[in-house]
Amino acid sequence: MNDSKKDNNPTFLEGNLINLCPLNIENANLYTKWSNDPGIRKYSRNIIPWSIDEVKKWCEAKEERVKKEIAFEIWHRKDNKPIGSAGFSDINWLNHNANLFVEIGESEYWGQDIGPETSRLLIDYGFEELNFHKIYIRIFSPNKQSLRVAEKIGFKFEGTLKEHAYIDGDFVDELRFAIFKKNWLNSKK
Amino acid sequence: MEKKANSNENKEVEGFPFIKGENIDLCPRNSKLVKTYIRWKNNPRVRKFSRNVFPSTVEEQKKGIEETGEGLRDHISLDVWYKKDQKPIGQIALSRIDWINGWANTSLQIGEPDYWNKDIGTEATKLLIEYAFNELNLNKLHGGFAIDNISSWSVAEKVGFKQEGVRRDAIYVDGRYVDNKIYLLMKEDWLTRKKD
Repeated sequence: MNDSKKDNNPTFLEGNLINLCPLNIENANLYTKWSNDPGIRKYSRNIIPWSIDEVKKWCEAKEERVKKEIAFEIWHRKDNKPIGSAGFSDINWLNHNANLFVEIGESEYWGQDIGPETSRLLIDYGFEELNFHKIYIRIFSPNKQSLRVAEKIGFKFEGTLKEHAYIDGDFVDELRFAIFKKNWLNSKK
Repeated sequence: MEKKANSNENKEVEGFPFIKGENIDLCPRNSKLVKTYIRWKNNPRVRKFSRNVFPSTVEEQKKGIEETGEGLRDHISLDVWYKKDQKPIGQIALSRIDWINGWANTSLQIGEPDYWNKDIGTEATKLLIEYAFNELNLNKLHGGFAIDNISSWSVAEKVGFKQEGVRRDAIYVDGRYVDNKIYLLMKEDWLTRKKD
């Protein structure tokens, strides 16, 4: 059930399998479904239910002058529909760094290389347009899939925050991975 | 006569499951459902033991949903959706969450009397307990039930709550004071029980 029309969702960053498009309040029902889904939210640490009313509020224009967060819809090009969200949170404009997040909300699209492609588009955007110096990701130790993706893209392990999150009845480690502008631009040459 | 849901009520509303169960899902609240909420909250049979002694309006319910605010909340309320019929039938909540001392109060209201005595309360409570201990890392849960509210405290006992005590004449229901049975469930006991 998806009545999203491509016409009102312009592409901001163009990829092969997917494009990154601005958030669209008309798809608030999908965002709500994804952020509450137990299988999806496990490692993105949404441990509080999120009502569609709150999601709509999140989509509305913010009053802040400097953005702390930039979020996109992941648009599947072939199937012509949104399948997840991604972007930067905790943007620190003074130190030029930000946290990258990717959430594929439709689980049938897992394992199709969409995570790495989304990350690469965002990394290009972060370094080449936003002038970030460093982009980092936070991964919880049981999330083996994301660990593999991080290394595949070229993120380097920075350190472990021991027993930093409580997931499924246990305290688990948070691993920090980072990538720097100079390395990224060099690797592309 | 009791006001029932007409068959088209909420046909267009989606649940967005936050916790998935066998017969029910627990879903976030939704301002599109306020009319349903007030139908439950004002129903004399439903509100009898949940102590809604004041009339409940659409505006108040809307405000309640909007007022989630910043930071950590001390109240988490979820709608109980009956999967087979694809509709919301009640609410379950953790209230007065004390993050420092690790406890919260539990409450449950099946707003549609047609769904009473179907063991739905037991399933919903188990899902909420699992969430409170496994995701929120709380240490204990409380529940308080009027002594006449047999169906509610039976559910509590069934899932492993232990009676801690009785507050005498603590609740005024139907023209008289009745005792409030106080129940407690420790995380430790819940985990042991699950292993057995």
